[in-house]
Amino acid sequence: MSGVVFIASLVVSLALVHRPLGDYMYRVYSGTRHSAVERVVYRLIGVRPDAEQTWGGYARAVLAFSAVSVLALYGLQRLQDRLFLSLGMGPVPDHIAWNTAISFVTNTNWQSYSGESTMGHLTQMAGLAVQNFVSAAAGMSVAIALVRGFARGRTDLLGNFWVDLVRGTIRILLPIAFVGALTLVAGGVVQNFAGPQELTTLTGGAQDVTGGPVASQEIIKELGTNGGGFYNANAAHPFENPTSWTNWIEIFAILLIPFSLPRAFGRMVGQVRQGHAITAIMAVMALTSVTLTGVFELSAGGTVPQAIGAALEGKEVRLGVADSAAFAAATTLTSTGAVNSFHDSYTPLGGMMTMVDMMLGEVAPGGAGSGLYGMLVLAVITVFVAGLMVGRTPEYLGKRIGPREIKLAGAYFLVMPILVLVGTALAMASPEQRASMLNSGPHGLSEVLYGFVSTSNNNGSAFAGLTVNTPWYDVVFGLCMVIGRFLPIILVLGLAGSLATQSAVPESAGTLPTHRPQFVGMVIGVTVILVALTFLPSLALGPLAEGLS
Amino acid sequence: MIRMTRLPGRLTRQVPTAVRTLVVLTLILGGLYPLAVTGVAQAFFHDRASGSIVRENGKNVGSALIGQLFTDRNGNPVRKYFQSRPSAAGDGYDPLSTSARNLGPEDVVDSPGRPSLLTQVCARSKAVGELEGVSGARPYCTADGVGAVLKVFPAVGPVARAVSVNQPCPVRPFLSTYQGVKVECASPDGDYATGRTVPVRGDVRAVVPPDAVAASGSGLDPHISVAYAELQAPRVARERGLAPAVVEALIREHTMGRALGFMGEPAVNVLELNLALDRALGKER
Amino acid sequence: MLEPHRLLTSLPDAIRKLNPATLWRNPVMFVVEIGAAFTTVLAIADPSGFAWAITGWLWLTVLFANLAEAVAEGRGKAQAATLRAARRDTTARRLRNGTPDGRAAWDVVGAAELRQGDVVVVEAGEIIPGDGDVVEGIASVDESAITGESAPVIRESGGDRCAVTGGTKVLSDRIVVRITRRPGESFIDRMIGLVEGADRQKTPNEIALNILLAALTIIFLVGVATMQPLAIYSKAQNPGIPDTLTLDSDGVTGVVLAALLVCLIPTTIGALLSAIGVAGMDRLVQRNVLAMSGRAVEAAGDVHTLLLDKTGTITLGNRQASEFVPVDGVSELELAEAAQLASLADETPEGRSVVVHAKRAYGLRERRPGELEHAEWAAFTAQTRMSGVDVNGRRIRKGAAAAVTEWIVVNGGRPGGDVAAIVDGVSASGGTPLVVGEATEDGARALGVIHLKDVVKEGIRERFAEMREMGIRTVMITGDNPVTARAIAREAGVDDFLAEATPEDKLALIKQEQEGGRLVAMTGDGTNDAPALAQADVGVAMNTGTSAAKEAGNMIDLDSSPTKLIEIVEIGKQLLITRGALTTFSIANDIAKYFAIIPAVFAAVYPGLDVLNIMRLHSPRSAILSAVVFNALVIVALIPLALRGVRYRPASASKLLSRNLSLYGLGGIVAPFVGIKIIDLLLPVMS
Repeated sequence: MSGVVFIASLVVSLALVHRPLGDYMYRVYSGTRHSAVERVVYRLIGVRPDAEQTWGGYARAVLAFSAVSVLALYGLQRLQDRLFLSLGMGPVPDHIAWNTAISFVTNTNWQSYSGESTMGHLTQMAGLAVQNFVSAAAGMSVAIALVRGFARGRTDLLGNFWVDLVRGTIRILLPIAFVGALTLVAGGVVQNFAGPQELTTLTGGAQDVTGGPVASQEIIKELGTNGGGFYNANAAHPFENPTSWTNWIEIFAILLIPFSLPRAFGRMVGQVRQGHAITAIMAVMALTSVTLTGVFELSAGGTVPQAIGAALEGKEVRLGVADSAAFAAATTLTSTGAVNSFHDSYTPLGGMMTMVDMMLGEVAPGGAGSGLYGMLVLAVITVFVAGLMVGRTPEYLGKRIGPREIKLAGAYFLVMPILVLVGTALAMASPEQRASMLNSGPHGLSEVLYGFVSTSNNNGSAFAGLTVNTPWYDVVFGLCMVIGRFLPIILVLGLAGSLATQSAVPESAGTLPTHRPQFVGMVIGVTVILVALTFLPSLALGPLAEGLS
Repeated sequence: MIRMTRLPGRLTRQVPTAVRTLVVLTLILGGLYPLAVTGVAQAFFHDRASGSIVRENGKNVGSALIGQLFTDRNGNPVRKYFQSRPSAAGDGYDPLSTSARNLGPEDVVDSPGRPSLLTQVCARSKAVGELEGVSGARPYCTADGVGAVLKVFPAVGPVARAVSVNQPCPVRPFLSTYQGVKVECASPDGDYATGRTVPVRGDVRAVVPPDAVAASGSGLDPHISVAYAELQAPRVARERGLAPAVVEALIREHTMGRALGFMGEPAVNVLELNLALDRALGKER
Repeated sequence: MLEPHRLLTSLPDAIRKLNPATLWRNPVMFVVEIGAAFTTVLAIADPSGFAWAITGWLWLTVLFANLAEAVAEGRGKAQAATLRAARRDTTARRLRNGTPDGRAAWDVVGAAELRQGDVVVVEAGEIIPGDGDVVEGIASVDESAITGESAPVIRESGGDRCAVTGGTKVLSDRIVVRITRRPGESFIDRMIGLVEGADRQKTPNEIALNILLAALTIIFLVGVATMQPLAIYSKAQNPGIPDTLTLDSDGVTGVVLAALLVCLIPTTIGALLSAIGVAGMDRLVQRNVLAMSGRAVEAAGDVHTLLLDKTGTITLGNRQASEFVPVDGVSELELAEAAQLASLADETPEGRSVVVHAKRAYGLRERRPGELEHAEWAAFTAQTRMSGVDVNGRRIRKGAAAAVTEWIVVNGGRPGGDVAAIVDGVSASGGTPLVVGEATEDGARALGVIHLKDVVKEGIRERFAEMREMGIRTVMITGDNPVTARAIAREAGVDDFLAEATPEDKLALIKQEQEGGRLVAMTGDGTNDAPALAQADVGVAMNTGTSAAKEAGNMIDLDSSPTKLIEIVEIGKQLLITRGALTTFSIANDIAKYFAIIPAVFAAVYPGLDVLNIMRLHSPRSAILSAVVFNALVIVALIPLALRGVRYRPASASKLLSRNLSLYGLGGIVAPFVGIKIIDLLLPVMS
């Protein structure tokens, strides 16, 4: 019952906040004025803030920035022992460093390392946390560029990536993160630069209490839908998530931007109701998933949960089963991947829900930015499939969905399933890679499948039993993350470019209405049938086989 | 608006800008921001920002947020203390090696060198039962504290043979017959892979609460459930020569309720409770 | 719609289409064919009833798809054969020196030798040898070979009725024709090409849909192929489970993989897509419209603005008497009687309408001209612009205001100020005034005015309301003055009008609409319509129109019916809706197929998965076979729908969507559950 109130309180809070925040984001991305700080930044980085880019220029800027970020982050990890605040940690092994650099730049935050024993404070703070900000801001920029493609007409200009990046970071993420970080500290999240502090426990044992700039990283990890934990235990760690209310705040932070962006989208295209429809699609899918996950976990299906008497394995007492399930759903529905409980030990069907959430393509509501652009691509495909049924060449927001648009949208929607399916098949065909599974039988398969679903969707959570700090998994998952992030981004920007050049078709009674419940239902249907059902065979051999026995 | 000159596929032209941008943003987000948060946090929430360290007699004895082991050098429970949950963090509650067990819900068959999750649960249940003087029985657990799991043969069709797979010979199987077939103990070198796995629920109800047998996600869970605390209360009271009511009162005192009445679950902070007990004892002397 | 014999006659074509060299253009069915070939090999290598049954049905799936296309094309082929008969080799009398002088000497040449610019003479009973314009003479021509309309039409030199089509027959008189097209490019040649679908090119929309279907095919191809390592692992994890027909230690058997793949890829729409397109064009041909490209048909569905000529489309095309307005001192009855008398000799529709109105409104019996003795009739001519009668010394005239006024003055009378006022009033209300005057020995005077009004066609208002609901704006084009135009526009319920329209105005209007992103459709016939026809997204030229107009438009209406445009829009929409509906249906089908095949394949190794077998199909092999059979039969079942198009009623997009979504979306989910279950029940009975 308290679980229901918990979810309801999140829904109400998001309902209240998404509007002002969405309006604010609309102003941030549509404004023509630059603050004094921003002007200084633009001068330093050598960007003329009013020079707009074509889709190609925008894409090249995203890619250049990301490539530079990967190299810098890789270097920082490899050299951390020679810099300060390393806590005596050695250089990160090369394949882990490559995987981690990609992981944080792609907003995935898959971790094949254990934070407290691998990363010094400087790497965490000046490497990983910075990427938490900018990878989220980059995702938001791409989404905004796509929205501009819908909102504009007869232009090939989509805005300036550097400006969008800087604004998203400084005007949106940074202020919220600052307030959020202090709130978390008030709840007990640590924020210092100390190393492990050895003390003697009550019974005379030794314990090293760790320190670090955790709160400042924890909040952006959730707000930017990143998910990379300061510690190995991620948000289950009491120093990352000490109380049931910090848990609420972290879930709220995860959902905040993805659920506010549709509002900004509605404002930018000049039809607030279109934003409402997108929000509704996301909300229906999210609520369904949250509810199902909660029900499966609370009913404790499976032999071990039954033996235990509750699905409490891998969960914290203070957070409880229901709220942990809510976090699990939120983190997988977005591209966050932070965990406050360990999905590997979830009930079979509860664990399956976390996979299904990601298999939807991370669109309900998805990552910061990536959720909105993923959803808009799905809307485009839906408009195309069903829009023909009103007897018109399909159009969305006045833009015709022709061969070029459907080519880009179709390619977008192929990327993730192909990565997941091919990757899983390769791993499952190799005895060497299968040896990484901690569990046997269908659950072992689930571990591998989860890994590919998570990395290809840039989620980052895991069925953590799988040993992934091997060169093969580090490299292959790294590839999944890079391709799963940037190929769709290029396609989305291409789509944006194509849409921007079109002049809008005026709306009439013959236009397919894309703001009504029927459209909401249609997008959900297309998403479930075309995206999620693709995975039914693999789900059947993994969690379904386990859960239906 | 000024149109940027079209760069024909030149990714590299953007690189200097990218480098400069990353440097500037790193200074802001990786330098100024964490420093500012740390400054304000240390100024206003010094204790919390520093790890909620608990001091006793001038010495740091732990963090109020990090669970501890209350066991002796040999790993046996110190009977005067409330015990924490099972932990998979290193050798137990090691903040340098936080981890969950990550075993799946159907991990029920032991393999050499690795007991199944079910057996770990059953063994812990049995141990807790013995420690607290209550029944340690659980569904799907044998009386000797392993997973009550049969392998039946053939995998499809009527049962011809049944083996209690987690009970190596010469242990007596937890069931004598299964569907009319005599249940065998598991031969140490037997390969039972071709059998069908059948966990047997049994008809017992667990007395030991769930959190007592399930490992936490962090391996550092500082809390136990109120039920688990109450299960331990008589033993602790007995060991310390305290009235049960005193211990019960301390449990209530150190129970953190649901935030705002609906967030999370009520939880008892074990370190704080044990410290309070030590102090209570000190006062009584 | 789909007679059995049509299926039978199309069968050879369908088999010919199995050729992979042609089939690869349809990626979905190409994949099915590869699957069928693959299972054939497997069935030969390891024969079993199940393998052969699957193989057979996979081949049938491809065949059914080909059949759909062949049937759709077959109809066009029959029509083309008729047209070819009309094109039979004719000879032509080519005038020497190419002079349009009909009395010049000629040579007899084969029609195929005619070149552009040649001048031929054609007399009654002869076939016109090629497309061209009449440069001399007038003739009635039988164009039934093209239009199917048996009533002859008049073709004459000059003006907008000068175009003649090769293959049509001159019934009377003699004309001289200048050939405007080379042989092989004539109208009738193009028509044959169009109805045969020989030069059918994929429309943008069809291309986009094909891309989506290819993407879906790829995803399911990958999905099915990558299932194998997972299946092998699962089987190996349960070594005690015996091999089954569907799953052994090498994974899912090839036959089952192929079956699963074929069931999941969008075969229904893949099979019918081409037939839908052919049938859509065919439906236009049935209505005697020739679309020069499929793109134009699609554009018709997208049209925002219809430019409609007033005359013939919105109004009946002639004005009718609606009121008699007498001058002071004359009673209405008096005027009505005079008007009737004056109009008896006027055989124009307007004149007839005066007689009719006098009878209807005043009960004046129509009198035959012969009834009145000694009457001298003055028939209506374009020169006098009036008609009338002289009887018993009384002369009555009715006609154009100016003409009658002048007549009165000539006869020594004065028209009077109130006549002018009435005339102005009628004009101001959008009507046309006819003045009735009489001259007696006492002098001449005006009796009053006949108010002639344009009569809006019955039902047109409702039609426009439908259009509005469909989101289409109607604009009336008329040469009338703005006052008249507004009155008619209001009465007909059009959204807008363009009065005193010149061809330049039309062109400007189209450009302006297009500027705002709107698609425009119009009809036209005259040479001066050509620029507008070319500019419009859908330009329908009347077959009676000039060659220039026919050249400029992208559709030709053989019936030359001005209301055809509305039907064309509906056909365009119906084509798109049919595609969308069947796509939705096809994709929605997948749910049931998953639920049939996944448990059938994997329940052996994981018995719990049997709960997914919600249809309770009685065995794995029956489940898989039923899904494959359903998948094949649904193509056949939907061929009539693909050919006929889904039922289309004009409605708003929102209503259309709701209706089609519940019919083809929900129907697509439910139908296969029912169908597969029924087949599963029938299979044991049949075998």
